[in-house]
Amino acid sequence: MRNQSKYLLLITLLLAVYYLVTGIYLSKLGYFSQEGLFYIEKTKIIVDGLGNRLKVMGLTSPILPFYTSFIFSSIYGGIFAPIIASSICTALLFYMMASALIKRVVDIYYIFVLLIIFIFHPGILYAACSGKSIAMVLIFFFLFFFNLLKFYRSNTTFHVSIASISLVILIFCDYKFIWLTLFFIPLVLTITIQSLNLGEQESIFRLFLSFNNPSLRRKLINKTFALYIILFVLPLSCVIFYKLLNLTHANDLDYFNESPYATWTVLADKLSFDQLSTSTVYQLPETSILVSARVLIFCPLMLIAIYLFRESTYQILTLLTPFAFVEFLHIKYEKVFLAQQYYLIFIILSLLCVLYKAQTIKNQRVLKLLVGGLALVQLYTGFIFLQSSTIKEERNFISVLFNGAADTKQDQNRDLANYLNHLPADAHILVDDAIAYPVVAFTKNIQKLTLPYQGAFLNAIEAPDKYDDYILLATGKNEVTGFTQLNNKYVPIIKKSNSALRLRRVYETDDWILYKIFDN
Amino acid sequence: MSIPELLINDHFITQLDREKIDDFSARSGLSFIKIALNFGYISRKNYERSMMNAGYLFPEVRELPFDPEILSKIELKFADQHVALPLRIENNRVVTLMADPGNELFIDFIRFTYDCEPEIIVASDLDIVWLSHKLLGDKYVKSAVFELLNRDPANSAFTTFSSGQLITLFGVFALVVIGLVRNFKTTSIAINVIISVFFLVAILFKLFLAVVGSRFELHQAVTRDDLKEIIDDDLPIYTILLPVYKEDKLIKKLIWNLQAIDYPRERLDIKLLIEEDDDKTLNAVRNLDFPAIFEVVVVPFLMPKTKPKACNYGLHFSRGKYLTIYDAEDIPDTDQLKKVVSMFGKLPSNYICIQSALNYYNRNENFLTRMFTLEYSYWFDYMLPGLDTLDIPIPLGGTSNHFKLENLVELGAWDPFNVTEDADLGVRAYAKGYKIAVINSTTYEEANNEPFNWIRQRSRWIKGYMQTYLVHMRNPVALWKKLGWRGFLGFSFFIGATPLTFLVYPFLLGIFISYLVFDLTSIRTLFPDWVLFMSIFNLMVGNILMIYINMMAVFKRRFYELILFSIANPVYWLMHSFAAFKGLYQLVVKPFYWEKTEHGLSKVTSPTNVVK
Repeated sequence: MRNQSKYLLLITLLLAVYYLVTGIYLSKLGYFSQEGLFYIEKTKIIVDGLGNRLKVMGLTSPILPFYTSFIFSSIYGGIFAPIIASSICTALLFYMMASALIKRVVDIYYIFVLLIIFIFHPGILYAACSGKSIAMVLIFFFLFFFNLLKFYRSNTTFHVSIASISLVILIFCDYKFIWLTLFFIPLVLTITIQSLNLGEQESIFRLFLSFNNPSLRRKLINKTFALYIILFVLPLSCVIFYKLLNLTHANDLDYFNESPYATWTVLADKLSFDQLSTSTVYQLPETSILVSARVLIFCPLMLIAIYLFRESTYQILTLLTPFAFVEFLHIKYEKVFLAQQYYLIFIILSLLCVLYKAQTIKNQRVLKLLVGGLALVQLYTGFIFLQSSTIKEERNFISVLFNGAADTKQDQNRDLANYLNHLPADAHILVDDAIAYPVVAFTKNIQKLTLPYQGAFLNAIEAPDKYDDYILLATGKNEVTGFTQLNNKYVPIIKKSNSALRLRRVYETDDWILYKIFDN
Repeated sequence: MSIPELLINDHFITQLDREKIDDFSARSGLSFIKIALNFGYISRKNYERSMMNAGYLFPEVRELPFDPEILSKIELKFADQHVALPLRIENNRVVTLMADPGNELFIDFIRFTYDCEPEIIVASDLDIVWLSHKLLGDKYVKSAVFELLNRDPANSAFTTFSSGQLITLFGVFALVVIGLVRNFKTTSIAINVIISVFFLVAILFKLFLAVVGSRFELHQAVTRDDLKEIIDDDLPIYTILLPVYKEDKLIKKLIWNLQAIDYPRERLDIKLLIEEDDDKTLNAVRNLDFPAIFEVVVVPFLMPKTKPKACNYGLHFSRGKYLTIYDAEDIPDTDQLKKVVSMFGKLPSNYICIQSALNYYNRNENFLTRMFTLEYSYWFDYMLPGLDTLDIPIPLGGTSNHFKLENLVELGAWDPFNVTEDADLGVRAYAKGYKIAVINSTTYEEANNEPFNWIRQRSRWIKGYMQTYLVHMRNPVALWKKLGWRGFLGFSFFIGATPLTFLVYPFLLGIFISYLVFDLTSIRTLFPDWVLFMSIFNLMVGNILMIYINMMAVFKRRFYELILFSIANPVYWLMHSFAAFKGLYQLVVKPFYWEKTEHGLSKVTSPTNVVK
């Protein structure tokens, strides 16, 4: 066992290096995720900025992936920090799953399958090398369900409270997972009914018995309520607390979720919305109900998982909860594409079920064959899904990874940042990082920039000539130009209030125009 | 006719009983009457009835004159074993009190020692015990009070504040005052930050401990199979000390609970420790109409009148290999003693104490008992196992801690000047390299259901924690070397920080409420953004986590109906704060004063401790 752990650690280390090298290779080819750039920019503000850095530190969302990335910000100027974080987190996920596996299943074959998936699955590679929060989401999703399954077996508070803590962290890695709690409401009742000490085995009759006996009814209500509380009071109260923190520091309860200064998802969702609203092609794969079918195609191993737990109603319900969750997400956020992580959770869940239950199956040969075969199918479907993804960033990842083609999306931002880097050290540039965070992420000296987290920003917008030497404006072509005041409408407005202001274009890209302000 | 024959004749004991008693007497050195009255063979009422029928009278003997010269020739333990006491020589005969006038061994002792025939006065055994401890117990009671102080003064709470501590305290106080005068804002912010960081670390540490502790939820330190392997004849003598003071209402209940203990009766050495002036309890024992299964030990008067002093006194008369303490109202799991014996057998020899979990049988009585149950469930089910796992000194609970008697004596037993002698003893044990384990057995107690009584009890506990912290922090470096950094931090967080937290809590709450209600700008200046961030985090997350840990604990105990009461914890903590200030006041004014907790107030009478 000790030897196995050593090997596992070694494999994990190699895996982390593999992810890291791949991630850095991709970034050298120009691939940067929006989320990664956002973290880099916010890290720069916290490390080098002058102004209300605390607000940036406390309210940048999702907060935990940001902090994880922040830990590595001192390495190589911080530009690879999100990639390092996601690589390590994915390797850690492998370690957790593999070590849980070797404790339960003696057969090395399943470790091999796990390793194959972690090395070759494009979705996992995307989680590991893109610098996004997906890896952390997967870790805590795994821990949440793993502890829940352990709780079903042991009935211990330890596992249910660890599950609850995992859920809290999961929510702070991706706020949308708060909706997962919704689908546990019927599940908890089922769990309680099953745990009552009754002679009757059939769930519906157990429910009937429990409701018709005053003592059992009281017990059922007490226990169900207690389980709700233990499972959900922590996530819900943490969210309330976080919202209060937003209210005290930003005067808005949902600042972390709705402000482009706090989270990168606002712009990403906006782009999805634009695409879905204006697209003339009907996006059939994104239709409700079909999402579950898509999930099963993406991760056919889920069928094995469901088969493994076929004997227990509430465990099956537990496995079906994420299906309900993604369907709900699709309805709730109807104009937003379902990102890769909402598919990847099923891969993790199915692997979890296999590692948890594989040893109970007598006919191991057939099971191994099925698991191995379906794992290979998943590699292919994973590739297809990413390649045909509706989210541009995901498509780009695959094309850069498999074709080695340079990603030019950030080239202009990088060139602009280089230009800003070469401006005199005492030059000040007015920039709105609500949309210009990729530019800021590539700049070297953030102290040259006047950004919204600083108190002077609003004054600088009113009287740019008094505070700054340059203004960075979004062009009309910029996809998210509507999210900033500093766009093509700004010049006429400011000229109206200050006719003496003299501006000259000094640098121009498709998305940006840099103006120099001349003294009168 | 001898007394045994008399009792058989009156059908109060059988011939078989007599044989058993004689056999036990030969093995233990205890007299027939001592065993008959204290090991459940005959009730005192029946004994008196039988004696009176035979023409014996029981005169009042407590005020009889005595001669110190005569008393100096008899040892208390011998007198106690035979329930007899020579008082003086009158008319060339030794006036001797005896519970059993036919005790030939003792009569021979009188003849040989005093060279006179005895003049026997038959008296109630309890009166003889009372008188013999009062007249002969002087050296034992002095030892009970001063033994630790003489042997290991550095660990005695006789001195509350050392000079160094006073200098440090006043030095810090002076620094704060100077700081506030010179730069009020910066100093206030600094204090604020220190408190916030302290709270943050304490909260996270407690959560960590609770999670570590909860991992062992299913771990059975002693399993049913282990218990099956125990052979009754191989069990060692087990001493149970029951220190009581004016607990007359609980005596019947106590016997009922003791009867339920699954341990061979002859191997139990149960001592009911009654204070000299506590006639109420003594009379309650006297009036029992069913057989008692404990010996009465009367603790002679000597200040301080504390529970540890009584226990130290009882220790002199204890015969067991292992020893435990129960309160009068305690209901231990029936198999607790056997479990402890089994566990001691499994543990390395440096484990000298095993702590059982404590919980309450009257948890649903009112708000206070519910909160108490929440608190104890969390403390004994999560925190102590957590501390145990991390090898951090365990502050022992007041009862149900089981010791190896010889090691307890070696440690200097309990500190009679410390009002939480148990917590102090735990730290002393760790400092000497011993270990304490936690066992999967529960003792059910009576939760305090009356607010003023609760405050009294809690103020004593908090004062005791302060005392313990001060005693062991006289030389922090030495303590750190003895306990290691983990032990030292654990000690500081659990013993030192607990009173401090409660003392600071109302101020922080006050500031927060003033901030919310009055929106005072002056308060705002004391909370720069990052301090505010940390403070709000502490206030919200800290409270939520502490509430959550409480919820976890009652969830584990399956007390589902209590789970929502965890939310009331902030109110409960305010009560703690009140008690903490009372404790602090007493620490300065009367440090050794033992705030007596009234027991027997609960109306709940149907506890269950039978292990199925």
